[in-house]
Amino acid sequence: MDQITSAPKTVDSFRFISGITKRMIKNWINMEKPRSIPWTPLRKPLSQSTVALLSSAGIAMKSDIPFDQEGERQNPWWGDPSYRILPKTASEKDIRVYHMHIDPSYPEQDINCLFPLQRLQELEDNGRIGRASPRHYSIMGYILNPDQLLSETVPALIRDLEKDLADVVVLVPA
Amino acid sequence: MPDLTASVSIPRIAAIEYPLGRTLGQPGDAPGQKAVLEATLQALEEIIVPGGIVHLPFEWPESPKEVNNHAAVNPPIGRYLSRNPWFLPRLLSRNVP
Repeated sequence: MDQITSAPKTVDSFRFISGITKRMIKNWINMEKPRSIPWTPLRKPLSQSTVALLSSAGIAMKSDIPFDQEGERQNPWWGDPSYRILPKTASEKDIRVYHMHIDPSYPEQDINCLFPLQRLQELEDNGRIGRASPRHYSIMGYILNPDQLLSETVPALIRDLEKDLADVVVLVPA
Repeated sequence: MPDLTASVSIPRIAAIEYPLGRTLGQPGDAPGQKAVLEATLQALEEIIVPGGIVHLPFEWPESPKEVNNHAAVNPPIGRYLSRNPWFLPRLLSRNVP
């Protein structure tokens, strides 16, 4: 009997990225020096954990302050380093996607293609996770100089996640 | 782009070969999106060493050429560099003016 074997997949980081962007990302990778990797073990089973999402797509509620696109147009080297809170009930009708380096039409059709709020709720409903956090978060990922992101936004995000009693945060790159 | 993510020393990575802007799947494909999220959470359970990477097995249904046809977005830095191409090395080395 024939045995069909296939090698496990290795993800190609650059399959959908071409030209100058690919060159840029490879350069940025080569600029990084190895450093110690932070580690927090899972404290309890996923079925008892509160799970939050953090997206870099620049998502904000329509009722909230937009990410500053005009600032980036004025200075294309700058990106808005702030963050926004999104309730777990948010749907594509309630949000806008302000990241100018991705096509916003897909998440504005179905937010779950990059911010899976409804899918997370389903995993709460079927018991795979303890609960979906009441609040989720987004930053706008085009930030060439991360100083303010690291010194102000990340500590504030961590304070919010702690208030939400989040055990697990899924970072969803856009 | 797991190679980029790994370069900044992230504790756990679930790598996926999907285009930017649709990290979980196609709009409207609830079963596909859910499978990716479940596999990501499973990777969280499986990775027991700092910097561990799980390569998710999902295949995007379009070729890169088909995907590129959709993403015709030129952000401000792209327009700026087409007018000022001599600044390109500064972007490549993330040397922000």
